Amino acid sequence: MKLITKKESETIKLGEKFGKTLKGGEVVLLVGDLGAGKTTFVKGVAKSLGVTRVVNSPTFVLMKIYEIKNKEIKNLVHIDTYRGLDIGDLKNIGAVEYFKRKDCVSFVEWGESLEEYLKKEQINFKKIVIKNISENEREFIL
Amino acid sequence: MKKQITILGIESSCDETAAAVLQSDKAGFKILSSVVSSQVQVHAKYGGVVPEVAARLHIEKILPMIQLAIKQAKKKMTEIDYIAVTAGPGLMSSLMIGTETAKTLALALNKPLIRINHIEGHLLSITEKLKFPAVGLVVSGGHTQIILVKDYLKYKLIGETRDDAAGEAFDKVAKILGLGYPGGPAISVAAAKVESVNLIPGIEIKLPRPMLDKEGFEMSFSGLKTSVLYKWNELVKILSPENLDKARNLMAYEFQKAVVEVLVAKTAAAALKFKAKTIVLGGGVSANKFLRSEMLRVINEKLPDVNVLMPEMKMAGDNAAMIAQGAYFHVLKKDFIEPTKLKPDPGWELVH
Repeated sequence: MKLITKKESETIKLGEKFGKTLKGGEVVLLVGDLGAGKTTFVKGVAKSLGVTRVVNSPTFVLMKIYEIKNKEIKNLVHIDTYRGLDIGDLKNIGAVEYFKRKDCVSFVEWGESLEEYLKKEQINFKKIVIKNISENEREFIL
Repeated sequence: MKKQITILGIESSCDETAAAVLQSDKAGFKILSSVVSSQVQVHAKYGGVVPEVAARLHIEKILPMIQLAIKQAKKKMTEIDYIAVTAGPGLMSSLMIGTETAKTLALALNKPLIRINHIEGHLLSITEKLKFPAVGLVVSGGHTQIILVKDYLKYKLIGETRDDAAGEAFDKVAKILGLGYPGGPAISVAAAKVESVNLIPGIEIKLPRPMLDKEGFEMSFSGLKTSVLYKWNELVKILSPENLDKARNLMAYEFQKAVVEVLVAKTAAAALKFKAKTIVLGGGVSANKFLRSEMLRVINEKLPDVNVLMPEMKMAGDNAAMIAQGAYFHVLKKDFIEPTKLKPDPGWELVH
């Protein structure tokens, strides 16, 4: 499915819509260049899950975990491998453990490098590709 | 309190493993030693780009760092009076190494244990005493927060970035411009080469100041990053290599100016609103020369009675000396934790 967003608030709304479809256990790879709207999309997902804390970029902290109350999904895990994290690093920081849990949903920014590993381990995942069309327009391929 | 106390500080919240020894006396305190793993390591995996977050690396480094800090402080382990450790925020796997080590040392040596918030550490990375209320700006690759400090141990988050941290924006813009790593210093160096903004005839670079006119203390830097990306891509298409080099420096200059303007304006506004007597900077980006000079210039002009404090360059990045310094104030308030109750808290937010 291809969708266009024309501004940041539309990307957030799209994230919210996507968030509402989550059942728990999903691993989502967010593929897109700098400024595509990966973090913005996760903000929308977080909003739909009832996260009230500010969801900002995990580039330097690498992994952030947001607790969700009163739902089947207990944690939103937000990971960013921009700084060169490979699967070994993700194992080291405990990220892979979260991928296997049915009560968590994980979003990995710049996660294309994980595809092979996830396929090998038979961990189901979804891939969302975001293309920068112009300064404010984005094309989401879900 | 004893006349002279010695505190061992331990920091391992993300990629660094650090230890430091602080000694106090009636007048105040002094850092006797401060060691940080990235600065002592012989091997760098990818020139420092890939964070060394592997728990096994923290495990390998932590005892040697502690021993080195104690040795450089010319002390013995038995002369340590208090143990302080970062308990969060950060990565569980990294934090755990620090907290388990600190717990064990505290139990083995039978000394009080103090848990410190990493952000609090950055706030207290200066050596001068704060006059309250104070407003702190903690700005790094991982954090950009404005914090109200009503007293030591009394903190309230009043504003933060809604997207990219300022240090992260520096890093990503440096990458967009092809300026190398680490991004912050590279941008700073390139910006310093600009003597006049009229470097290239017909080319003017105007960048937005996100959230500047919006009320409140929320900040945002990802829109600025995207702006640089688009403007740079345009320039790459139309400029000669010689002019592109000039444009690179100019873009770095304008970007740095935009970030610093927002950081200073929001901090000043917070200081005004909360009638702050002190403004304190902390975090890796507090080493940025332009941020330092602009903060001083603007505050001198707009809030001349407010004192601006900033850490020494070596105290700006992650380190354990700031953890020991933070701990000093916890010791004064006898704020200790039972070692068996100490747990790392990756999402620990600094609150009142």
